[in-house]
Amino acid sequence: MRPVAIVGLDCRFPGAPDPGAYWDMLMRSDEGVGKVPGQRWNAQDFHSPTGAEGHSNTSEGGFITDPDAFDNEFFTISPREAAAMDPQQRLLLQCAWRAVEDAGIAPQKLAGSPTGVFVGIMGNEWAQLHLTDYARVTAQVGSGNGYCMTANRVSYHLDLKGPSLAVDTACSSSLVAVHLACNALLSGECDTAIAAGVNVALTPALNIFYTQAGLSAPDGRCKPFSAEADGIGRGEGVGAVVLRRLEDAVADGQPVYAVIRGTAVNQDGRSNGITAPNRWSQQDVLTAAYRRAGVEPSEVTFTEAHGTGTVLGDMIEIKALGQLHADRTGRPMAVGSVKGSIGHTEGAAGIAGLIKVALSLHHRVVPASRHATKENPALKLAKQGLRLLKTPLRLQSKPAIGGLSSFGMGGTNAHAVLESAPAYAARPEAVVVDGERTSGRTGLGSGVFTVSAPSLDALRRNLLAQADAIQRRRVSAGSLCWSSNRVKTGHRYRFALPAQDTGELAGALREAATDDDLLARLTGNPAGRPLVALLFTGQGSQYPAMTARLYRESPLYRRFLDEADAALTPHTGGSVRDLLLSGDPEVHRTRWTQPALFAVGYALASSLAELGVRPTLLLGHSVGEYAAAVLAEVFPLEQAAQLIAARGALMERLPEGGGMLAVRATPRDLAPLLEREPLVGVGAVNGPQATVLSGELAALGRIDDALQKRRIRTRKLAVSHAFHSPLMEPVLEEFAGIAEEAGGGVPKLPVYSTVRGRLLEAEPMDAKYWTEHISAPVLFGEAAMQLLEAGPTHLVEVGPRPVLTQMARRLRPSALAGGQSVALVPDEQAGGHQLAEAVAQLYRSGLEPWWNAAYPEEERAPQRLAPYAFSDAHRFWTRGPIRSATATGVGVLPASGAAAREQSGEAEPETRALSVAGTVEALAVLPSARESAPVDVVASAVIEAVAGVGGYAPQEISPGSLLFEDLGFDSVMVMELKDRIQERLTGLEAMSVQDLLPRLSSVGDLIDYLRDRVGAAVA
Amino acid sequence: MQSTPPSPEAVAYLAAVGTALPGDPVDNAMLAKTLGVNEEWIDVFIGTRTRHFARDLITGEVRWSLADLCAQAGERALSAARVAPEEIEFVVMGTATPDHLMPATVNQVADQLGLDQLPTYQLQSGCAGAVQALELGRTLITGGGYGTGLVIGGDVCSKHLELDRDLSGAAPSDLVNYVLFGDGAGAAVLTSEPRGHRLALRRVLNRFTGLGREPGQVIDWFGLADRHEDRQAVREDYKAIESAVPVMAAEILWELLEELDWSTDQVDFLLPPQLSGRMTRRITEQLDLPGAVEVSCVAETGNNGNALPFLQLERLLEQMTDGQRALAVAVESSKWIKSGFALEKV
Repeated sequence: MRPVAIVGLDCRFPGAPDPGAYWDMLMRSDEGVGKVPGQRWNAQDFHSPTGAEGHSNTSEGGFITDPDAFDNEFFTISPREAAAMDPQQRLLLQCAWRAVEDAGIAPQKLAGSPTGVFVGIMGNEWAQLHLTDYARVTAQVGSGNGYCMTANRVSYHLDLKGPSLAVDTACSSSLVAVHLACNALLSGECDTAIAAGVNVALTPALNIFYTQAGLSAPDGRCKPFSAEADGIGRGEGVGAVVLRRLEDAVADGQPVYAVIRGTAVNQDGRSNGITAPNRWSQQDVLTAAYRRAGVEPSEVTFTEAHGTGTVLGDMIEIKALGQLHADRTGRPMAVGSVKGSIGHTEGAAGIAGLIKVALSLHHRVVPASRHATKENPALKLAKQGLRLLKTPLRLQSKPAIGGLSSFGMGGTNAHAVLESAPAYAARPEAVVVDGERTSGRTGLGSGVFTVSAPSLDALRRNLLAQADAIQRRRVSAGSLCWSSNRVKTGHRYRFALPAQDTGELAGALREAATDDDLLARLTGNPAGRPLVALLFTGQGSQYPAMTARLYRESPLYRRFLDEADAALTPHTGGSVRDLLLSGDPEVHRTRWTQPALFAVGYALASSLAELGVRPTLLLGHSVGEYAAAVLAEVFPLEQAAQLIAARGALMERLPEGGGMLAVRATPRDLAPLLEREPLVGVGAVNGPQATVLSGELAALGRIDDALQKRRIRTRKLAVSHAFHSPLMEPVLEEFAGIAEEAGGGVPKLPVYSTVRGRLLEAEPMDAKYWTEHISAPVLFGEAAMQLLEAGPTHLVEVGPRPVLTQMARRLRPSALAGGQSVALVPDEQAGGHQLAEAVAQLYRSGLEPWWNAAYPEEERAPQRLAPYAFSDAHRFWTRGPIRSATATGVGVLPASGAAAREQSGEAEPETRALSVAGTVEALAVLPSARESAPVDVVASAVIEAVAGVGGYAPQEISPGSLLFEDLGFDSVMVMELKDRIQERLTGLEAMSVQDLLPRLSSVGDLIDYLRDRVGAAVA
Repeated sequence: MQSTPPSPEAVAYLAAVGTALPGDPVDNAMLAKTLGVNEEWIDVFIGTRTRHFARDLITGEVRWSLADLCAQAGERALSAARVAPEEIEFVVMGTATPDHLMPATVNQVADQLGLDQLPTYQLQSGCAGAVQALELGRTLITGGGYGTGLVIGGDVCSKHLELDRDLSGAAPSDLVNYVLFGDGAGAAVLTSEPRGHRLALRRVLNRFTGLGREPGQVIDWFGLADRHEDRQAVREDYKAIESAVPVMAAEILWELLEELDWSTDQVDFLLPPQLSGRMTRRITEQLDLPGAVEVSCVAETGNNGNALPFLQLERLLEQMTDGQRALAVAVESSKWIKSGFALEKV
């Protein structure tokens, strides 16, 4: 058989709410067995130490906590439907989701794929309780029951289109499900498979059965292969694994827990009694599995046995194993069974064993088997080539092989052979990027950690879950962030935070979860994709060592600054990059200022483009226009570099003695003053009251004096020359010559020209344009106003400090109310962290970054993250504890939530208990109730009807509630809704479902529609 | 694990190195400002330009424990080697400044890295501790049948970095303790098969030579009973160190060369003892291996004890190509321990 990889898993077993806790419990040889919770059945009613007829000899077992908790809102399942679902379906749904996340896949990305779902299950007690209460059988109760629906629910809610089926072979069900899943993968029926098992004990029926059949342990505990073994103790649980063909897992860079090398299933046939285990068939299934895996028995280091702890069952299993292992050389094979810790989890037993074996091979240590120290001497283990796992077994560094048995009461046996993952699969190579975009160096210099959730409450809960997990273990922060971008980005509320250290990250996540203002700043709930405007900063924004830290920290930025430097060096006679890195104050000389700002602008904008930020609107202030033009493909980098270098050098040669003066006035106000000074002109108009004059210093001084007298505010700018002034004329001719060589076409992206003060419409940015650009005033105000009218959601400052975004904000503060300013380099110390924050900000606003560009190759390696933490606020448990017929009839428990809490020992959650029939028994009002109560008859009738059909409290329904997306309505519920509305609104003429369907988007729509109809009927 | 019989030709390989330096570098100007030491004196007599501290120089807050730094370095070494934590079969750590006397810091590091069910060792030693850890790691692999292990070295001087003390009148022997040291950690993944950088660890030297000699350096620790005694926590016989270390370094170099039968021109890189920028320069000149490229770090990292060999190794890995050889020399001047090792990239 070709190998199948276990790439993801999740589980919940007695005493262990998740795989981490499961592993810890096993490594401590602990157990999760205790009293029958009051929620299930009244243990005293059914307990008889002597095992009297109709009674069980034990009142203990392995029960999971909170089987009633279900995050129905996450799956948009209405409370009424949730209440009508077998808890096994609910548990499985959450478990499958988490297992897929553990596999490093955002579950949303599996939607539509032919992924298979294979569920092992043998308990149908929910149906026995509810489908026999004929008066209360509703549509929801029907679909809430049945083995098939356990698997089909997972396929439905995750939108998986591969085979989807439930398997019942009694206690071997879930290992048989794994067997079928492997076969489906290997036959090409699906490329990913979820194999699972689930078991929840709702009634004492099997306890009574085990007792009456002489198989029940009085203390409710399986003691596998122990001298004290005296029968079965029942256990509950749910577990799921995500399986891939090994070659696919490796190709996709998914880390692998362990590899399934071979599985086999057979039957006892007509053996001595249908429920009796059969040694010969067990031997056969072992032999078949070893053969299929291509291993010799002696290669198997350990086996997770079925090991129910019945004297006969243990004996037969050991003899069957002994047949194959008695003559092995070297150390005897180690044998244990997880049933000693969690009981016999029946339909979930196979998956419990599989997860234990997979984790053992992953951690390279096999936990000790509880109760093994008191070995049953009658088993003569040593003679059989076997030994019990009395202490944890550290596996050698070479590949290790483990076996797993699971046998069904009706005679269907299963065995699987697993092997440790090959080193290359346990820790995959870095993911080499999808090819097209990221050639060359990548990485922001800091990761961005992302978490998403369907609501703010859910987000808070998940931030805490991540913080806890991250704090527990030190891993590469970069890999952790990259993995979070891949797995944790599918939901509506987007949280993002730059992170370079896991310790600091854990603290920051915790802080955000507890500080609402902070959470609001770090979270977005975008309605669409951002419309990004890039504003390229001009002269005056430069400073020594600008972006030097970013250059050192971010390989991505480094790559593009190096590119710009290489293009400039032939023309600048020195390296702009080296100038910046050395912190040379020469950067203030315009022959360096201009190329340096161009290089910074080009490198920042190119980094953004590489990260997937599609610029839709471009504007450059004066020299900032050069980098904008390269981005708009006016000319290639090399030509722009030549031109900007020449521009700077020519201006440098002009005599100093020019200056610039910023004035709080309009150009018109200044016109009379300028008429008298031919050597001064308007250099820039940055806004209605923001004019910059440029020209000869003495003349500027005279103007300044005149303005001072009029109490008009002025500010002298620190510049070497009078840019955009008549003093520039001497360079024009020579520059025009060079510009002719450089060329320049029509921009391919919208460029808002500061020469024209407007959007360029099919006009070339050619030699004529760039020559005019030198002496023409910079019409930033007008260009920016027009850009703002196009409605960008984000103004991104592409320069070494924020200048233009602030100027633009002053132009039209109100228009920008919904937009955001983004600074790639917010201050002189900014580095990778700040660039990462800018990317985080854009992601929060709806950008889907090309995350791979944000990380260097070595960080693009998957790290497992804590899976989604579901809410346990909503509880669904429709039946009270089962009581013996002599006590009371089967009835509804009025305060079932309280019973659940009692046994889980937890603080009081928001609790609701719904009966299957849909009447609300005890409904705590949820604090999330959205809007105020409706005011009219139609509205209240509709809301009551919607609430009644969905099982919501009326307060939870608002006109904005979406029937399908928010409230989980389906076609059956719509039928009922129609009937209920017609019952309540007597003035309403008869209507069909077809009439109603187009009006069902939101509750408000429905109310409006019905109001019209009622009105029409009255009229 | 212990099942593979030791083979006489068994070789341990260094697959990758990871290091961790706390916070931003602290330059001499900053140190001078904070402690009132003369900046020029540091430049001229110590020659160390920057160092890193686990304690914040301004607030005095301890921001990293030794375990934090060692785990960070360990995680980086594992990532660089592409070795999963589950593959690690032992951890050996050398330090002179554990976070606690119990539990041993190595076990806190294992906990942070998610390592369990494996042997751990902590060697208490000064600068030679990292080399001793390498030697023990090599022994476990070549003789113990282990496949993959983690070797760590690190030190923090936070405990003795008294920030509210005015040093303007302090004697040079006292001053030197404040300007010489820094904090940091390093780690290396050792393997039985060539992986990652494939550096064969050809020889490790570790020898106590301090019989009857006064310690050149003492770092004290205090308990409930003696915490108020007026003892200097860190003492250094700088004169003795200055005269003895160069001689010992040369002996170590020649011992390694002779045992390996390598000639001086077969050594491509030299990792000299890292005392201070100035001392290291002097010793390197005296070792006189003109054909070998010197790999030093102390001028930038400060003397951070057991982290030093790893910081040097990290710089070495960037430069070394197939077939090249490197020799490392380290001297612990407390009780005069000679140590060194030889590497060859295969």
